[in-house]
Amino acid sequence: MIRVNDVQKHFGALHVLRGITFEVQKGEAIVIIGPSGSGKSTLLRCINLLVEPDSGQVFIDGVQVNRHGIRHEWVRQQVGMVFQSFNLFTHLTAIDNVTLGLTRVKGMTHDKAVEKARELLARVGLAAKENSYPAELSGGQQQRVAIARALAMDPKAMLFDEPTSALDPEYIREVLDVMTALAREGMTMIVVTHEMGFASNVASRILFMDAGKIVEEGSAEQIFHRPKEERTRSFVSKILR
Amino acid sequence: MVVAGLLMAFVILPAIFNFSLLSTQFWQIYTRFYITGLFGTFFYVALTLPLSVVLGFLMGWARVSRIRIFRWPASLYVNIFRGLPPLILVIFASLFGTSLIPQPILDRFFAGFRRGDIAVGIAAIAIAMHSSAYQAEIFRAGFQSVPKGQVEAAQALGLRSWQGMRHVILPQTFRLSLPPLGNEFAVLIKDTSILAGIAGTELVAKSRDLLGVLSASGLPIVWIFAVWTVVAITYLVLTYSVTRGLRLLERKFHTPGLEAISL
Ligand SMILES: Nc1ncnc2c1ncn2[C@@H]1O[C@H](COP(=O)(O)OP(=O)(O)OP(=O)(O)O)[C@@H](O)[C@H]1O
Ligand SMILES: [Mg+2]
Repeated sequence: MIRVNDVQKHFGALHVLRGITFEVQKGEAIVIIGPSGSGKSTLLRCINLLVEPDSGQVFIDGVQVNRHGIRHEWVRQQVGMVFQSFNLFTHLTAIDNVTLGLTRVKGMTHDKAVEKARELLARVGLAAKENSYPAELSGGQQQRVAIARALAMDPKAMLFDEPTSALDPEYIREVLDVMTALAREGMTMIVVTHEMGFASNVASRILFMDAGKIVEEGSAEQIFHRPKEERTRSFVSKILR
Repeated sequence: MVVAGLLMAFVILPAIFNFSLLSTQFWQIYTRFYITGLFGTFFYVALTLPLSVVLGFLMGWARVSRIRIFRWPASLYVNIFRGLPPLILVIFASLFGTSLIPQPILDRFFAGFRRGDIAVGIAAIAIAMHSSAYQAEIFRAGFQSVPKGQVEAAQALGLRSWQGMRHVILPQTFRLSLPPLGNEFAVLIKDTSILAGIAGTELVAKSRDLLGVLSASGLPIVWIFAVWTVVAITYLVLTYSVTRGLRLLERKFHTPGLEAISL
């Protein structure tokens, strides 16, 4: 479903991605872990072209997306993205956050969009909150609206960039539950997270990134308990503590 | 505040300076001057206010543009027009204004106007530009206070960049800018009085005209106090209505989490 081949990215003199290659099958959920600054966010952003790779290829459903002449808007409809800081539109209610893409990108009528948005809000457990503004919602509720907003575009895959790390501990569970359900329903997912429980339960593979490279790849059991690489071992021992 | 103002205008000042705002003879003579003056002030506000908003918005936008050749002229503009007193701008505009417009254009489009009127028009535009420099800063702050993450979220949904501008940035900029814009509009209304200095036909100039008539025709000299008290009340009512109107708009568009920026 998603194939990344030898992707390189520099920010000025900073070499952030140093030849990343991996593949995610349809219906598979993978987790990426790694220290701060290792390039995890940049990698996710290369997939929906929020960041343009310097070289290498990104394929979504067999189509190379980082080539000349492709419409970025089209690529971004193929993969949904959920951010660490939610990034809901402050001036719009929960339901309007979800309908914006439906009416403006998909060209749906307002009534149809509202109907679909209601279904999605119900799916993330927020049917009662459709008229609340982001400032009136808890962090966990905001993040669930953000997930509904991304799902509204019927993406082929979803990218999650540390979706729970800005949340107070009591709200982490509800967001992970929504993501787990999504994975069980067969959504293709790439999740940057340090939530070990989620990774063990949901991810078919874990990628460990460090300094712009994928250092090690394996099952949760292998990465967390029997890492081959010294760097993986030392990182995992820090987050397992 | 309203009570204190009325007390001042109708009781305290009249008692001290021995005039009355209720004198029919006074109004018989002043009304004509007052109405022409007030219409003049409305005219200049109607000319400068929309112009200043449009210019201010464009300059504010240019100042946050990713394109450098938009940014630096806008910041030059803001610094010049904010840095000069409006009176100086008006003097310059009326001195050099008409000579900036080529004669053929004057002949063609402004044939019916006297040169003096054109100069006042240009001076009014200079006042609008002065105000637009402040408004540019208001809009710039409005643009900058929309978190970048929301623009990215809009992109990630597949919105085009103009759609992100239209549906995500502008509505928030608008709400955040309303209160400081209200203050700026009040300043602009007051600043149109500077046009009196170059014989613009507005409230202050027309009131001064009456005072010229006064000494020549032996009318009571204490009317001076009455005239300027009426002028003062008029400006207070105008500026208060504008800030009040904007306050109502602000309440109508109130959104939790989008409280006003203060400059
Ligand atoms: N737009 C940018 N311009 C310049 N440098 C950037 C940009 N985005 C990221 N970087 C730099 O690239 C490096 C990798 O950043 P990235 O955000 O991908 O790391 P990360 O693994 O997601 O880290 P974290 O766990 O802190 O989120 C960092 O050094 C960061 O400062
Ligand atoms: Mg990151």
